[in-house]
Amino acid sequence: MSDKNTLPGEKLKPKKTFSDYWSKYSTVLIMALMIVVFGILQPQAFMTGKNLIKIIEQSSITILLACGEFFAILLAGIDLSVGSTMALSGVVSSRLLGLGWNTWAAMLVGIIGVGMLLGAINGGLINLTNLHPFIITLGTQSIFRGLTVILADSRPVQATGFAQVFGGKLFGAIPIPILVALLVASLLTFFTLKSKAGRNLYAIGGSKQAAWFAGINVKRHTMLAFMISGVCASLAGMVNIARLASAEPAAGTGYETFAIASAIIGGTSFFGGIGMIPKVVLGGLIIGIINNGINMVGLSSYYQQICMGALIILAVTLDRFFGASSKKR
Amino acid sequence: MESNLVEMHHIEKKFPGVTALRDVNFTLRPGEVHVLLGENGAGKSTLMKILSGAYEPTAGEIVVNGERFERLSPKLSQQLGISIIYQELSVVNELSVQENIFLGRLLTVRKLGVTVVDKVRMNRETERLLGEIGLHCGPQTQVDALRISEKQMVEIAKAVAFNSNVIIMDEPTSSLTEEEIEQLFTIIRKLKAAGKGIIYISHKLKEIKEIGDRVTVLKDGEYVGTHNVSDVTIDHLITMMVGRELQNKYQSATREHGGQTEVVLEVRNLTRRDGYVRDISFRLHRGEILGFSGLVASGRTETMEAIYGAVPVSHGEVLLNGRKLRIRNTYDALNSGIALVTENRRETGFFHNFNIRRNLAIARQLKDSKQGGLYGLVSPRQEKAISAEQVRAMQIKCASLEQSITELSGGNQQKVILGKWLAAGSQVIIFDEPTKGIDVGTKSEIYKLMRRLCEQGVGVILVSSEMPELLSVCDRILVYFEGRINGEYAIEDATEEKLVYSATVAKEDAQATA
Repeated sequence: MSDKNTLPGEKLKPKKTFSDYWSKYSTVLIMALMIVVFGILQPQAFMTGKNLIKIIEQSSITILLACGEFFAILLAGIDLSVGSTMALSGVVSSRLLGLGWNTWAAMLVGIIGVGMLLGAINGGLINLTNLHPFIITLGTQSIFRGLTVILADSRPVQATGFAQVFGGKLFGAIPIPILVALLVASLLTFFTLKSKAGRNLYAIGGSKQAAWFAGINVKRHTMLAFMISGVCASLAGMVNIARLASAEPAAGTGYETFAIASAIIGGTSFFGGIGMIPKVVLGGLIIGIINNGINMVGLSSYYQQICMGALIILAVTLDRFFGASSKKR
Repeated sequence: MESNLVEMHHIEKKFPGVTALRDVNFTLRPGEVHVLLGENGAGKSTLMKILSGAYEPTAGEIVVNGERFERLSPKLSQQLGISIIYQELSVVNELSVQENIFLGRLLTVRKLGVTVVDKVRMNRETERLLGEIGLHCGPQTQVDALRISEKQMVEIAKAVAFNSNVIIMDEPTSSLTEEEIEQLFTIIRKLKAAGKGIIYISHKLKEIKEIGDRVTVLKDGEYVGTHNVSDVTIDHLITMMVGRELQNKYQSATREHGGQTEVVLEVRNLTRRDGYVRDISFRLHRGEILGFSGLVASGRTETMEAIYGAVPVSHGEVLLNGRKLRIRNTYDALNSGIALVTENRRETGFFHNFNIRRNLAIARQLKDSKQGGLYGLVSPRQEKAISAEQVRAMQIKCASLEQSITELSGGNQQKVILGKWLAAGSQVIIFDEPTKGIDVGTKSEIYKLMRRLCEQGVGVILVSSEMPELLSVCDRILVYFEGRINGEYAIEDATEEKLVYSATVAKEDAQATA
């Protein structure tokens, strides 16, 4: 193909640079490094099949949140309200369950009625005000949390019914939350790579202006991105209440940090337009490995925070210098 | 005769690869308004930057108040009493009028052994200054709350407070209303009476006749001449500005235009909600390339954005092949077959995070889907077919379709953008400064392509600031002045002089003087 299009003597060979390799394999590399480090430090406890499944199960909430967060960051924005959305949808579903609703119906309302609606509120406010999503979602983070506490009457809400849905294991080995996270991640991977809307979101992330001038309805797509984020967060909320058998009003506090960290460590560019869902899943697993590994090694959980924080800064710095976005200008 | 405030002798300024100024002379007397005139890129700003100390001249000397200098620094220039008021005002919106005027050199007083800001004296001083120039607001008013014309007056007050004898004004009236301009002129006359020298840069020839005493014309970095404004006509000034003999139009052979041909695109009374353009009406005929001339920000690009649905329109109609279009956003425009090749390739033309294939296919994909591209799946096979076809047709030089667009040259990037619109089957293509920053070879390729599209029945509009480009490519040229169409020329009648005239003198004034 290239022979036909290229005039003789002007054939350009794209040179593979360190930057190309880095943007492709950085996430896998970090993950391998983590596994090796903890594997060496704690070979018996860490490197067992049981523990690895436990890591994935513990990571499923982070992965779900991160998959949604990915879309906000893809548009060069951010969604700080995912933790609150997760809590609010959990409390609403538990309340409905308490009113005698069918488990599936209560869950559906939590996901579609609450998750999608809160996402639409975020997207709508961003479109309406033209403010940076940071401001809007910082505000809604607080609003949604307040609503959660009011609705829960500042007490945990009983939700035993959900444990039946999410508590089981497929083939007696694979916990349902893992399946949910995998299913969501697969659907969204398909969406981002194969759908026109997904392609448009990448375009908007690359340049809002250029997208607008190419005929893309930027506002509708912004709305869509934040709605996906809301739905993912409410799914995480369902998994969470199933795990705890109750909806805590303070659930998911600070989880947006995990979500953002996963997306970024998973190679999503903070400058927009670059990233992939499968790598975000890896990012979520890396966070899980850190949490689990540090526990295993016997350090206090505060070291998790230090480690994760350092990794965020490192990942973005490396992306700035070597990542795909370093070629931007 | 009094001595000159400023003399600039044989000034030369070279930048790597270009000579921006060559042997330019300029003098400023006390109590005069000396107009500096020239096309975009003639060297006016460069000369003023040398005077304000931002640039060092490569040769020549500057004499200020009888003192000789080889070069000035911004600080020295200020100390010598030279102030410059830029087109983009440099007031600090967050501060008060008084703080702006005394910015960086607050008046102080010693109280109890401590040096503190002397608010009382600054207040008094500011009130006096504001009274002098006729700005009716308190010293404590926040600049944010002022209109642009008032902000400009604050800048002038600042210059007066600095005791400046030389005030440079760079296109001061570009964003002022008729009334505000009158106000500004009153201030300028006061400053003149106080013996200050004003250097006035403007494109508006009528203004120059009204306020100017002498005029110096620059062209392509060279000194053309200095005259008393009362001695020259507007036509004379235009000839001096354009100055070049008419080049042969290098493409007139293939042109046919009967005036009877069908209309491809018609625009009726188009008015933007933000008012940047008002009541624009024109017709684009099949088989003609319609050019849009005018100064930067005169409303050409602004009109195209409105036609394309990129900005809200308060009223007006757009008809394509006689059918009225409903364009509320860019997607509607794309869907109706209108394409816009934007002025700013990097920011609004292509997606830096996409490879060539994706960049070429995106418009077609959007058009093929409903709901603004929200539904539907990407077909890799179609994408490859579309992009391969365009790469061949446009002769885009690339290693593969998967190559990042950022690795291409400007010309090839422009071809990708064009290919994107052609793949989407656009019926009208608007080119806004399509050859900016593009090499000569690709330029002529783009011109040829425009002509070919035109022959195939696609409507072609060319917005350009380069008059030779317009004159050689277009069949008819419309000229903008202050947000409306101020002149129309068939290519046989068009000359650079006429285009400049229509771009700088309002139609009504032209008729009045004729």
